[in-house]
This record gives sequence, structure tokens and C-alpha cells, in this order.
Amino acid sequence: MAGNPDALGRDIVAGSPLRRRLRISRRSFLRGLSATIAVPATAQLLAACGDQLYTSGNLVLASPDHPVKWPLSTKVPMIEPGLTPEPGSTLKIYNYADYIGPGVIKAFTKLYDVKVTVSTFNDTDEALTKIASGAVDFDLHFPSYDQIGKMVAGDLLRPLTHEYITNIDNLWPQFKNPWYDQGWQYSVPYTVYNTGIGWRNDLIDFDVSALDNPYDVFWDPANRGKCAVIDDWHTTMSMVLLRNGIRDVNSGRVADLEVIRRDLKAMSEATDPRVTITMYNDLPAGQYSIAMMWGGDAVNAQYYLPKGVPAEVLSYWWAEDGLGLVDNDLMVLPAGGENPVAAHFFINHMLDAAMASRNFGYIGYQPPQNSISPESVVADGYMTEGLVAAAVRPDDFETSPRLLELDPVVDAEWHNIWQEYKASG
Amino acid sequence: MYVVLAILFGQIDPVLRKPVPVWNPVDWNTIQFRYVLSHIFGEQGYFGPALVRTAVYVLVASTICLVISYPVAYYVARYAGRWQGLLLVVLIAPFWISYMMRMLAWINLLQNDGLVNEVLGFFNDAWRVDWLSGHATTVILGLAYGYVPYMILPLFAGLDRIPQSALEASRDLGASRFETFRRVTLRLSLPAMVTAVLLTCLPMLGDYFTTDLLAATPGTSMVGNLINNAVLTPGQTGQAAAFVLIVTVVSIVPMLAYVWVSRDREGVAT
Repeated sequence: MAGNPDALGRDIVAGSPLRRRLRISRRSFLRGLSATIAVPATAQLLAACGDQLYTSGNLVLASPDHPVKWPLSTKVPMIEPGLTPEPGSTLKIYNYADYIGPGVIKAFTKLYDVKVTVSTFNDTDEALTKIASGAVDFDLHFPSYDQIGKMVAGDLLRPLTHEYITNIDNLWPQFKNPWYDQGWQYSVPYTVYNTGIGWRNDLIDFDVSALDNPYDVFWDPANRGKCAVIDDWHTTMSMVLLRNGIRDVNSGRVADLEVIRRDLKAMSEATDPRVTITMYNDLPAGQYSIAMMWGGDAVNAQYYLPKGVPAEVLSYWWAEDGLGLVDNDLMVLPAGGENPVAAHFFINHMLDAAMASRNFGYIGYQPPQNSISPESVVADGYMTEGLVAAAVRPDDFETSPRLLELDPVVDAEWHNIWQEYKASG
Repeated sequence: MYVVLAILFGQIDPVLRKPVPVWNPVDWNTIQFRYVLSHIFGEQGYFGPALVRTAVYVLVASTICLVISYPVAYYVARYAGRWQGLLLVVLIAPFWISYMMRMLAWINLLQNDGLVNEVLGFFNDAWRVDWLSGHATTVILGLAYGYVPYMILPLFAGLDRIPQSALEASRDLGASRFETFRRVTLRLSLPAMVTAVLLTCLPMLGDYFTTDLLAATPGTSMVGNLINNAVLTPGQTGQAAAFVLIVTVVSIVPMLAYVWVSRDREGVAT
């Protein structure tokens, strides 16, 4: 049966698949027409509902050489002094997993009759993304200091009312006027920690700390399958620079970024380390033998050893010669929190010397308290001699490189290199 | 999908580096999409290996799933008799346990001093394996284990619907049991096999959890990991949207092909 030729000269047979494909019914035409109209309309509607949060773009970058006193937020005022937490209310905490002791939370609840809930994030980038979305109402957040500039610029923080935080005098003096937040207007320090290498000395037959350059362990093919590095772009990429003797761990120089790119690739080829933040659990469990670690995690690892394995099998090294990172985390009040009074009381609670020590015993991260010193942490049983390098001294902050907030363009390039590393293997 | 496109072709907040979706296509900016495309192939093709790896892992894991699932589903459909209900319950049971818990269980089994290595070490100490140190085999087996229940059920449904009369007709016409299986059962169950493979392939393509838990090395990254990393990285949400778009296009093509091919077979299959 002959049919009508189509535009290409092909015969169209009624009822054939081609005919069915080409035929446009009145209904489908109208459906297509309505869709054509609906897409721009929907786009306009969504645009009207969207959150076009554009900030200035003039990000102020704090550094030890450039201390910053942030302006007080006009959108999010500080609370009046002299208030008390509402009994029966809830304090919402946003923190890393296993980064606050349940004992100190229970003590707070008992003291003030305030229920505490803890939500967790994997890294501070993720946390910032969620807080900036405005969809969360956490009262207390634990970021690193390199995020405070962004949060102030975005009006995401509530200034502190100092009258509530009487225990500030328990802290090392330098934290009463830190360079990243002059006058501690938005933050108080939570923990201090350095970043080094932890290992199970019963699983490898050499002493990492005795190597000429201990960072080289991650580039030695003999250690393939035995290593892990921290799943934090800035920390691990900085380790690459420090290995090469480059102390500027916030560099925006193309040559330095190329060193990072090249050496991450080389590391992947040599040892293909696991990229994780659970080394405090995995290293003692023997899932690998050598791990780049935050000092606090090395201390915490003691409590995750299998039964019968002594804490002495864990060793930790940190570069004291200025080629090791030292940092601190903060407590801040997100702008969206609905219980800022209780949050202030909680901060003060955490700065109490007894509570800070109790929390240290649970999380392994040292609070910058005057009452705690590298000598006392061993004597008081917080860590073994093999882990004492994880203890931080006030002077370490004078001599060691810090991870700083980066210029957005530089920051994007660092993140791209990290993404390339994690993708290509 | 329109939201994904609005983010992919949208803008980034200059300070917080969060995505700012642009809803009007006229204002769309393709820079993020071009960045991803330019890093898939060639000298700068950092994302290429993860995409190829994903395809290989999914293909191998799906094949393993099929090899395991088909005999199981066939047995339950044809020979389970009065135990069919109980066996189905047993097959559905893994759905009651979260995927995360099932994967966590494997970590205990596969860690250096885990049960698997204890058994291997019992025979020969040299047979112990660092299973969790970034082995492709571990990830593939994890994927196969995780998704095998999703394949058994559609296969069972397909095999159970094959009319007994068709099988009897084949035997009456002189075909052996094997010939009947090859020429009747296998052919009539083909649509169920394709459905089952699609049902497992699609979630596998976006899976990031399995490799995160069982390997977590760059050498085993899949496209799901790229999406997850980019989503959680300020300023890279557009890249995540680009990967989502690529995965969607890659998954839609075989699905459309399946729909096109199977629409005229429907009468035969049932």
C-alpha cells in the first residue's frame, strides 16, 4: 500500500511506526503549546521565590599579620545582658560527630533544665553551605576560624554579649584578642590542635619520626595500601607544600599550586591513600598503619583500640620546626538560632576549667585552658608519651603556619585541584 | 531537572560561594558546564577516569547481580512450590535493613583482622588481603551485594508470568529441558532481565556511599563521589549539576531504547 512521501521523500504508510512518530494530534499539539508557555512562567515564578543572596564580594581576609575587628552586625543584634535560659527550651548544636562530650551536655541540661540536641556535619564547608541556606536554626556552631569572615560578611553570626561569658579568663591570653576576631566579638576558641602523622608502631617496622622528611611516607610506594590522609582540602594540600619546605600554606602563586597538583597526583600513584576523617577509629582498628591526623584524633584513637591492645602501639609526630600546622576551632552563634541566651550560657559552661577537662577526656582535643599543659596531659593520663607531640603549647601559634581564609578566586582554584585529585586517582 | 539546570547555568555568590540559581534561560551562563566537559577528555581530563571507572564498575557489578539473581529467581518461580511465599519474604528481607547498615557490616567482615581475613589466614597467612585499602574488587562486590535484591524481584516477577502452557508446548514439540529453557524461558524473560538490569544500574550510577565506605581512595572514585564532593564544596554546586545532567542523559538513552524496543513485544511477553 503506497502512502504519502514525507519531507525526505520516504513513503509514510498509515499505521507504520514512522507514521505514528510523525503524526501530531490536536491534543499533543495543545499539550506542547501549554508546556512552551509554562516554562518561562515557571521560571519567573521560581525567580520570584528564589533567594538572591548576593554579598558584596569585598571579603576581608584576616591573618596574624592583618588582625581584623569585624563590624557588629546590624541585622542580627547582640542580646541584652542579664537574661536566663528558658527552662524546658531546646539548645540546637551543630558540630562534627564525636566532637563534644555527652557528659558535659548532660551536666548543662541538669544545671539549666535546657534540652540539648546535636546535629553533625562532615566538614565546615558543608556546614557553611547549610547555614548560608537559611534553612537551619542552630543556636551554636563549631567552625574553624578561617570561615568567620564569610559568616560575618553574610550576616550569618550573632555578636556575643560578653557579660554572659565570665570564664573567658580561663583561656590562654592570646585568645582574648585573637587576630581573626579582635575583641572576640563573634567567637570564643573551643579547641587547639596540630596536624601531623599518626601510626601503629606494631604494624610498621620503621619510626616515621626518624625519617629525614616524615611527610615522605605518603609518597613511598612501599606504604601502598597502608596510608590515609585527611579529607579536608586545605589541610592535606598544605601538607604537600610543607613537605616541599613551602611555609606559605595559603599561597595563591601558580607555581605553588602546580606543586600541589603534581605531588597529589604522585601521591595517588605511589600509595593511593584513603581520604577520610575517621582515622581516630580506623587507625587503631588496623585498617591502615599510617595516617595524616589532627593531633586530637591521635589522642582520641587510644579509646578505639581493640581490647587487649595497649595505647603504646600508637605514635604521633608533628613538625615542630615550623613545618607543621597548628589551628584552633571556635564556638559561634549562628544568626538563625532561636535560643541565643542558652547558647551564651553553654559557651560559658564549656569554658569552665572542669568542664573543659572533662570534654578533653572524651574528644581528645585540647582546650586552650590555662590549667592544661603538655606536661599535665601525660601526668593526668590524657595521652601516652608516644602521643605527647599532639599536645599544643601557646608558643606553637607564634611559630607555625596557619590555615587562613583564602581570596575567593584562590579558594576556587584550591578546591578545583582537590576535586581533580579526588576524581582522577 | 529544571532546578538542576538553573543551578548548573546559574551563578555563584562571590563570598559564600553558594549557588544562586538563574531561572531565566536567557541569562544562563555555561562556564561550569564547559569546565566539566573540558576536564573529561584530553590532557586535562581529570574527571574522565572516574566516569570510565563508574561504567566499568556498574557493568561488572550488574553482570554479577544477574548471574546470582537469575538462578535464584528461576528457582523461586519454577520450583519453590509451597515454599515460594517464604522464600519471597527471605528475598525481601534485606530491604528491611538500611543500605548503610549492610555496608557497615562488610567493613567489620573485611577489615584487616576481620572474619574474612581470619578465615583466609587460617589456611595461609599470605592469603590475607587489605580489602579496604582502595580495591576495585571490594567496591564492585559491595555494589553487587547491595543491589542484588533489587534485581531478584523483577526477575522473579517476569519468570513467574511465563505461562506453563508455553513450556509444555515446547516439550510436546520435542525440545529438551535445556532447549526449552534456552528458546522459551530465556527469551520470554528477556524484558524482565532488561528491567532488572536497569533497576539496578540506575541507582548504581549515582552511588557514592559504597565506595566511600569500602575504599574511599581517589583510585576508586565514581561519578556519584564527584557529585557528592561537588555538592558539599562551596562554589562547585554547578559542577555537581553538570555531572547529574551527564548521568541523566546517559541513563535516559538506554531507558528510551528499552521503551522503544519493548513496546511492540508487550503482547508476546505476557
